[in-house]
Amino acid sequence: MNRLYCPFCGPRELEEFRFHKTLAEPGADAYEEVYARINRPTMSLEHWQHVHGCRAWLRVHRNPSDGTVREVRLVAGSDEASLSKDSTHDPA
Amino acid sequence: MRQLAPKYSAWSLLRARVAGDGYWRPLWTGAQLRDAYDVVVVGAGGHGLATAYHLARDHGVKRVAVLEKRLLGYGNVGRNTTIVRSNYLLPQNHYFYEDSLRRWETLSRDLNYNVMYSPRGVIDLAHSDGDMVALARRGNAMRVAGIDAELLDPRRLARFAPELDPYRARRFPVVGALLQRRGGTVRHDAVAWGYARAATALGVDIIEDCEVIGVRTAAGFATGVETSRGYVQAEQIVFAVAGHSGAIGTLLGVQMPIETHLLQAMVTEPVKPLIGSVLIYVYPHGEVYLTQSDRGGVVMGGYLDGFPSYTREGQWFRLQDVVQSAVALLPQLASLRILRQWAGTNDMSMDGSFIIDRIRYDNVFINGGWCYGGFKAIPASGAACATFVATGTAPDLIRQHTLARFRSGHLLDERGAGPFPARQ
Repeated sequence: MNRLYCPFCGPRELEEFRFHKTLAEPGADAYEEVYARINRPTMSLEHWQHVHGCRAWLRVHRNPSDGTVREVRLVAGSDEASLSKDSTHDPA
Repeated sequence: MRQLAPKYSAWSLLRARVAGDGYWRPLWTGAQLRDAYDVVVVGAGGHGLATAYHLARDHGVKRVAVLEKRLLGYGNVGRNTTIVRSNYLLPQNHYFYEDSLRRWETLSRDLNYNVMYSPRGVIDLAHSDGDMVALARRGNAMRVAGIDAELLDPRRLARFAPELDPYRARRFPVVGALLQRRGGTVRHDAVAWGYARAATALGVDIIEDCEVIGVRTAAGFATGVETSRGYVQAEQIVFAVAGHSGAIGTLLGVQMPIETHLLQAMVTEPVKPLIGSVLIYVYPHGEVYLTQSDRGGVVMGGYLDGFPSYTREGQWFRLQDVVQSAVALLPQLASLRILRQWAGTNDMSMDGSFIIDRIRYDNVFINGGWCYGGFKAIPASGAACATFVATGTAPDLIRQHTLARFRSGHLLDERGAGPFPARQ
């Protein structure tokens, strides 16, 4: 995993992005939202920000055991698939 | 009966000379997995082996097994940068790490195995007045607790570490330092081997290539572990699998206050003695810590890669950061080549401090959340964890390092960075 796909900017070097946090399960209470983590070694749903690019907040679906990225969506309007069509790419 | 290596001494060296080949025996091979144990320790790394050793030595627990998925010492005990120190701010941390440092001082004798403890001094460098104030605060907190700490001005720093040249012009100049003279380095592999040998001599079964894949329970208690070699009954289970404690939580149905992050380290080609102590340089754009190994290589590390990963493959940009920071501090390193680079998985907890506690069941314990500082904790962690398991009561040194502290708000936030594991 050397690059991440930004829906606005395309594939960019990983150091342009900043990882924020692993997302809690839907329905998590305040404690779980802040402190609890579901550590699934092969599936991780995370918030990242393209801090050194367009500054968009991204929802990244990733496999932390091999570094492959399954999907990148915008957090804003993430129900719409329009910007995530081309988000699959080589793990490289 | 297992044939063990004899006790090391001048006498055994002489006898080996006379006896010839075959006198020295393997340090820990030969154990057969039995059906049932009093305590099963999962993970043959530093913490697991030390826990097993102390269970057998201090508490007379007879049937102890250490189960290891891969090979003994494959994880972070063989991947760290070998630094030991106790220069922490919070009392809950500095008393614990001071206990550990005192044990490091005598460990070679206790284990009858040379772990090459080298009290060469640990230097935290300051680059601004604000930094000096923060270091003075930390140093004073340590001194109040009876731990050695000295604040150095540039003149004394130049005398202690002439290679640094504090008067050199730098974008972030070196204006002083906090020194802990008793801090230093320990040969990391020797720690795993020494504990493994000493534990084996006390009757502990160390089983490699035996992955734990589940925990069997009955009536609210754990009754044993499912392994790749079949079911093993256990009165008590200790998970010492830092790097994968979060995944163990998931296995037990507990969402842990932990994320797994990568930390890199690297070593240069060997050169003549250049760096006499452990140097730690944290400045607004990076961090690097350096030591020179006995072989002559400059061992370096820096920040975490910054996102959850189990790959044990470090990011190129972080390697560049570390090298750039090292050269900014010591320009004479610029002509050296990097010989090797590696990464380890770290249990990054939400407050940057470790967790030794029961998890889910009364007879299941977790020893983890060591962040990037587990190596230096091994002797104290093993002793405290063994006492907890054997007596059922957490000793004072680890009484506040519970899982519940995150819910109750009693965080041990050494760095005050908030609930973000990547920033601890």
